[in-house]
Amino acid sequence: MDKTQTESDRDLPQVRTQGLNLYYGPDRVLWSLNFDIPRGCVAAFIGPSGCGKSSYLRCLNRMNDFIPGARVEGHVLIDGADIYAPGVDVIALRRRVGMVFQKPNPFPMSIYENVAYGPRLFGVKNREALDETVRSSLEGAALWSEVKDKLNTLGTGLSGGQQQRLCIARAIATEPEVLLMDEPTSALDPLSTSRIEELIRDLKSRFTVAIVTHNMQQAARISDYTAFFLLGELVEYGPTSRIFTVPEDKRTEDYITGRFG
Amino acid sequence: MRKFSDKIATLVFWGTALSLGALLAGVLAFVVNRGWAALSWEFISEPPRDGMTAGGIWTPLVGTLELIAVSMVATVPVGVGTGLYFSEYATDSFFTHVLRQSIRALAGVPSVVFGLFGLSLFVIFLGFGSSMLSASLTLACLSLPLMVTASEQAFRAVPQDYRDASYALGATKWQTIRKVVLPSAASTIITGVILSIGRVAGETAPIIFTGAAFYTPGVAQSLFDEVMALPYHVYVLATAGTNIEATRPLQYGAILVLVGLVLGISSVGVWMRTRLTRGQ
Amino acid sequence: MLHTRKRGTTSPHFGGWGDRVAARTALSVSTVCILIMGFILYFLVKESLPVLKATTLSELLFGMDWYPQETPPALGMFPLIMSSLAVTFLSSAIGLPVSLAIAVFTAEIAPRRLRNLVKPLLELLGFIPSIVFGFLGMVVVAPWLQDRFSLLTGLNMANASALLGMMMVPIVGSLADEALCAVPRELRDASYALGATRWETIRRVVLPSALPGILSASLLGVMRATGETMVMLMAAGGAAVIPRSLFDPVRPLTSTIAAEMGETPVGSEHYHALFFAGLILLLITLAINLLSAKIEAKGFKLKGGNL
Repeated sequence: MDKTQTESDRDLPQVRTQGLNLYYGPDRVLWSLNFDIPRGCVAAFIGPSGCGKSSYLRCLNRMNDFIPGARVEGHVLIDGADIYAPGVDVIALRRRVGMVFQKPNPFPMSIYENVAYGPRLFGVKNREALDETVRSSLEGAALWSEVKDKLNTLGTGLSGGQQQRLCIARAIATEPEVLLMDEPTSALDPLSTSRIEELIRDLKSRFTVAIVTHNMQQAARISDYTAFFLLGELVEYGPTSRIFTVPEDKRTEDYITGRFG
Repeated sequence: MRKFSDKIATLVFWGTALSLGALLAGVLAFVVNRGWAALSWEFISEPPRDGMTAGGIWTPLVGTLELIAVSMVATVPVGVGTGLYFSEYATDSFFTHVLRQSIRALAGVPSVVFGLFGLSLFVIFLGFGSSMLSASLTLACLSLPLMVTASEQAFRAVPQDYRDASYALGATKWQTIRKVVLPSAASTIITGVILSIGRVAGETAPIIFTGAAFYTPGVAQSLFDEVMALPYHVYVLATAGTNIEATRPLQYGAILVLVGLVLGISSVGVWMRTRLTRGQ
Repeated sequence: MLHTRKRGTTSPHFGGWGDRVAARTALSVSTVCILIMGFILYFLVKESLPVLKATTLSELLFGMDWYPQETPPALGMFPLIMSSLAVTFLSSAIGLPVSLAIAVFTAEIAPRRLRNLVKPLLELLGFIPSIVFGFLGMVVVAPWLQDRFSLLTGLNMANASALLGMMMVPIVGSLADEALCAVPRELRDASYALGATRWETIRRVVLPSALPGILSASLLGVMRATGETMVMLMAAGGAAVIPRSLFDPVRPLTSTIAAEMGETPVGSEHYHALFFAGLILLLITLAINLLSAKIEAKGFKLKGGNL
């Protein structure tokens, strides 16, 4: 991507969703979604379980491609380019759109190899360059100081919270533009959760973050924009401060005030 | 480049799978094709004649069925009992550890070593002689690890809730096992028995020197008779017959019956197990 | 102690003598398994030790001549042992890569429908008796080899090893498939989300994660090959010499026992020597068994660190 294009891209939203429908076989999972996520923001997706927020997240890096019978209509534009256009390189897309999963899922390899996995895939062989990437990624994930003396031990041997931060380090090691997080703290204790929330606030200076959470306080604490999903529809989307204080839709208000969900 | 190697790898795996499938289909078709000519009702129902250069395979076929029956009578109670012990009674003790290691080791003993063991224990030491009993007991030992593993899994698959419900009604442990655990596990255990039969039916090496006969004029009548067995019969015809080339059709016929018997039994077992695991 | 339950929360009353009888019966029946393994060891040692009166241990293990029928008999098993090792090695070299490829195919590549068809078929193939493979080696492979490479005999190491390799595929393939399927979905997802292709995911994540299971499946295959008798007996040729080429006939320990035990008088030196051969086989398989138990324990630990 050359410089002039980057300049003009500044005005574009990082992620633009246009008329997105998702089907799993005969079931329609997402209904005509339209909204933009601005660059350098944290966007939170909330809603009761089964509302389609995780399915939407997986549309953004085309992980839904693996689900038999899954079909997408409409467009998702990342930096202005439609990721569902024919001939799109899914591999390259996933390099630009990193993902952190619900359950920490480090590979059963050393901490170092976990972080170096992505860069190695893209052909980085130089040991010094790799060392540097591993260090900066672990620093970026606020894990460096805890593991710098045991980079060669198994990543699976860390505590749950550390494992999740390792997964974040692994995801940012490929220097993506967008970072997807699918309920990243749901399997963690409160202390680890608050560390990760702190981290997410730091990460938005470098990445656009899209996070699914079932925890409304979490969404209020960390996000700039909030989207409320219900039964596969986007009910309401806007600045977090507004959604949580003066929601426009009755259903959003009911959900936020805990009347259902 | 990365996508290219991905394509190559996919191609290699499909290629391997397809060529293996083609090879095996070819082998099977060959056996069926050659054996079909020899197959007839007389081939199944008549004993070998004229120094085993003519006639059928009735005697060895019945012999194999007898061997299966006797060995299962011996192995099923022991296998199921041990499986029950593992699942319901075993504690983390030294005994349990030794038991587990023994069964594991038993599963790895080569079949010909089972033959040696059967020869020294059943044939010579216990004085059963070369007989159906010795051969069956040897086969029983060989199939024991299979039986134990199958029944242990069957018992473990019975939900703990069932046991708790029975205890809550005031049943004793034995009542619970007999009335709840055994019936729930029965179909899985039967599947295990069928699969064990599939394994035992074609075994040759363990029976060569424990009870398999080169030739007997009639079907074995008692446990202490020597017995003809289908797999050994094939071996004898193919390597030591009076006229090896001339009896090829007989050999192909016998092979086809053996393969049909073993695969028939095993596919029932595999099919039952697939159904059972799907039901869970 | 017997009544301690491992699972569940209720602690039922055990009072009736029926309960005690049942527990005792289960215990004594299980003891049979230990007894059988013990007897196998005992009888093999007991029946093989007398051979040391006729010859020395080093002569047995490293002697080059196997003429057990002569007087005095020459009981050097080195060619038999080397034959066994050579055939095991060669058949593993053929069978293990194919098994692994098939496992990767069924676990990672085949569409679900095909997988549901192939897996039971693969397992069924494992039930085909070894005598069938031996027979085919004799009447189909051997003449073909003989013509194709103008050999003296098609009954040789290459023939037996190819057949043994084929026989490994169902067993090792099925077990390796299970090991691959046990790798959590999440690891594959993580790899794909980082932009890996399927092959990269298989090679760098799935295979390494399943390695302990794959190794122990492979060891089981190797163990089976070492102990296989009928294929060796019918297709390996049976010359008691150290093989120098792929097409040399060989005489592994297993087929030696099967071929000669019938014609040797009980209690002769030859008889005891054959038991000694059996003991060697037994020790080899026990060693492999132990190794695979070690690997499994290690694999368990590796997983134990996981969530």
